[in-house]
Amino acid sequence: MSVLARSVGNAFRNKIRTAAVVAVLAVAIGLALAMLVANQAVGAKVQELNASVGTTLTVNPAGGQGFEGGGEPLTTAEAETTASVANVTSVVGTKALRLQTTTTTGSTDAATTQQAGPGGGFGPGGQQATVSTNLTAAVDAGTLGNRNNASGTTTLPARTLPITATGIGAEVDSTGKALEITSGTGLGDYTSSEAKALVGTSLAEKNGLTVGSTFTIQDKTFTITGIFDAGTAFGNNAVYVTLPEAQTLAETPDELSTMIVTVNSLENVDSTKTAVQDALGTDKADVTQGQRNLETAVSSLDSVKNISMIAFIAALATAGIIIMLIMVMLVRERRREIGVLKAIGARNRTIGLQFVLESLVLVALGSVVGAVIASLASGGIASALISSNTTTTAATTTQRGGGLAGAMPNGTVPGGGMPGGGMGGGQGGPFGGASQLLTSVTASVSPGVLAAGITAVFAVAIIGALVPALLTARIRPIEVLRGE
Amino acid sequence: MIVVKDLVRQFKSGDRTIKPVNGVSFELDKGSLASIVGKSGSGKSTLLSLLGALDKPTSGDVVVDGVSLAGLPDGKLTEYRRRDIGFVFQQFNLIPNLSAVDNVMLPMEFAGMRKAARLQRARELLEQVQLDPEKHSRRTNRLSGGEQQRVAIARALANEPKLILADEPTGNLDEQTGEHIIELLSSLSRDHDTTILVVTHDRSLAQKTGRCFRLQQGRLTEEVRTGLRR
Ligand SMILES: Nc1ncnc2c1ncn2[C@@H]1O[C@H](COP(=O)(O)OP(=O)(O)O)[C@@H](O)[C@H]1O
Ligand SMILES: [Mg+2]
Repeated sequence: MSVLARSVGNAFRNKIRTAAVVAVLAVAIGLALAMLVANQAVGAKVQELNASVGTTLTVNPAGGQGFEGGGEPLTTAEAETTASVANVTSVVGTKALRLQTTTTTGSTDAATTQQAGPGGGFGPGGQQATVSTNLTAAVDAGTLGNRNNASGTTTLPARTLPITATGIGAEVDSTGKALEITSGTGLGDYTSSEAKALVGTSLAEKNGLTVGSTFTIQDKTFTITGIFDAGTAFGNNAVYVTLPEAQTLAETPDELSTMIVTVNSLENVDSTKTAVQDALGTDKADVTQGQRNLETAVSSLDSVKNISMIAFIAALATAGIIIMLIMVMLVRERRREIGVLKAIGARNRTIGLQFVLESLVLVALGSVVGAVIASLASGGIASALISSNTTTTAATTTQRGGGLAGAMPNGTVPGGGMPGGGMGGGQGGPFGGASQLLTSVTASVSPGVLAAGITAVFAVAIIGALVPALLTARIRPIEVLRGE
Repeated sequence: MIVVKDLVRQFKSGDRTIKPVNGVSFELDKGSLASIVGKSGSGKSTLLSLLGALDKPTSGDVVVDGVSLAGLPDGKLTEYRRRDIGFVFQQFNLIPNLSAVDNVMLPMEFAGMRKAARLQRARELLEQVQLDPEKHSRRTNRLSGGEQQRVAIARALANEPKLILADEPTGNLDEQTGEHIIELLSSLSRDHDTTILVVTHDRSLAQKTGRCFRLQQGRLTEEVRTGLRR
């Protein structure tokens, strides 16, 4: 018999009570562990989201953000200047084009001229070239668009939506997010001029195109190498070609519509934004940190993270309090016995240790059962947390996206500067993220996280058990002799 | 050799103070068996708890083999109880969910003795107090009162104490069993050369001890006897 053996024995002295205590502890510990797992998974997801797109800056020509047009176009030279700024890992130039369906009457002149901002001034930038195509847009003009159109340029009696074509210097969409190619392949070398294109799913469907099909822009035949899914109707009503190709089509070899700047780490984003702005000059370019909606997504995930952390701490504290109360009860119950042990020469610390060990036996059993509960419950808890926290965001974003799609026909190109341009593209991020997260949460009941959680549980249990253990020191052995 | 010097213990109950032990002095030689008799509430348990360092006197001192308890800190008093004192209680006070052997091993564990050594000694002691060997591993709450008191005596002997203090050890036992226990104590004091002080209100049992004290109104007087052992 040693202190440990005695503690184990005492833990099982009253088996029914032990079972009840272990069950209650298991619920608290299981909840704590599940919350920790959810917290870790969400944390990892937030980091991933931040890492993938949170470090992007968008550079537009000065004034391009507004509705007034104007400003000088960005140039390849400016892209090089930007690339040389500290902490910039990559600069991807894009060149936006407006594809006007050739069958549209009354727009022949528009289709071949370069516009310095449409008359009414709806266009976000002055550099957007309109070129002809044989494709038909997959998105209908919205009423808002019609209204805007009526109040502005009235030269298009039977209007069709323009298709956005963007020349890209890397396999990213106009907001800098990696393109999700659902069939076929990318364009290969994005820095060479080749008659290849990527088309959005809805546009491909509308025009009956598949990988290998061809279509024309400005009478030049392009072969489709891949179909992409941007996640939104507007985003999918788009064509991507290589940057040099778009520059050639627009007949502006060195011009860029936007530059997507990737910064090496999240902490450097703010300082790099200022540095790029300084390097290019405020009169030449506007540097913005795009992906506002991503921030919303991240912040809603962050709140899930915080909630789960608070719940973890609360469940942990509950486990600690349960242990404390149980041990206080046991100490009171065994007062006389503690007095006997002291009378026959046990040191205070021997008795204190015996009670702490006894509580740890209960916690160990509770942790085993709790870990099982946690592995079964984590997925459900995390999905409940995430869905309740992201539905609000989903509703608002979708609504905004819808409104924008209606407003689009007036020449806004993704990333071209209208605040919504980036919205549409980014929207796939957080929701794709949320659903992926559920899978990753379910899969991520990792031994490491469980071990960390159980360590925390034991630490709290020791603290909880210390109070009653210290109480035993105050029991005086004389009480034994006095009898009851 | 135990020397008790002018021991006083007073309690405050309400606005009056009572002194169940009020100037007690006596000496006990090594290996002697003595008894204390007195009415219920006369202060016998109070005196015993002072001798066993379970309680501290208001004044006076207990000197055991030249060491005065009065100056010792709590830690040393615990060590004194562990090494020099063996207690036997009226309610036996064994740990109910431990076996007889485990109960006897406890004081040895507290004294830091190795496990094999304490197991062997526990078994020897249980044989000496004549506990049926098949009951050595039985949980003590499944033993009879007499058997439990034998285990308690074995536990008191575990660390070879200088003084065994027994507070009404036969109080919860029938007459015959009580007699066996007293005989056991008296043979142990002989064989082990251990000083034993027994509190009892049973006169016939007190007659069987070498010396007999009476506690009355806080004072201890020795009953003078003729022609008895020791
Ligand atoms: N802690 C205490 N506080 C107050 N009174 C006490 C305390 N301990 C003992 N007494 C009183 O001291 C007297 C002697 O008690 P005790 O030594 O138990 O008597 P005995 O063992 O001889 O029956 C009793 O009147 C008892 O009520
Ligand atoms: Mg008494």
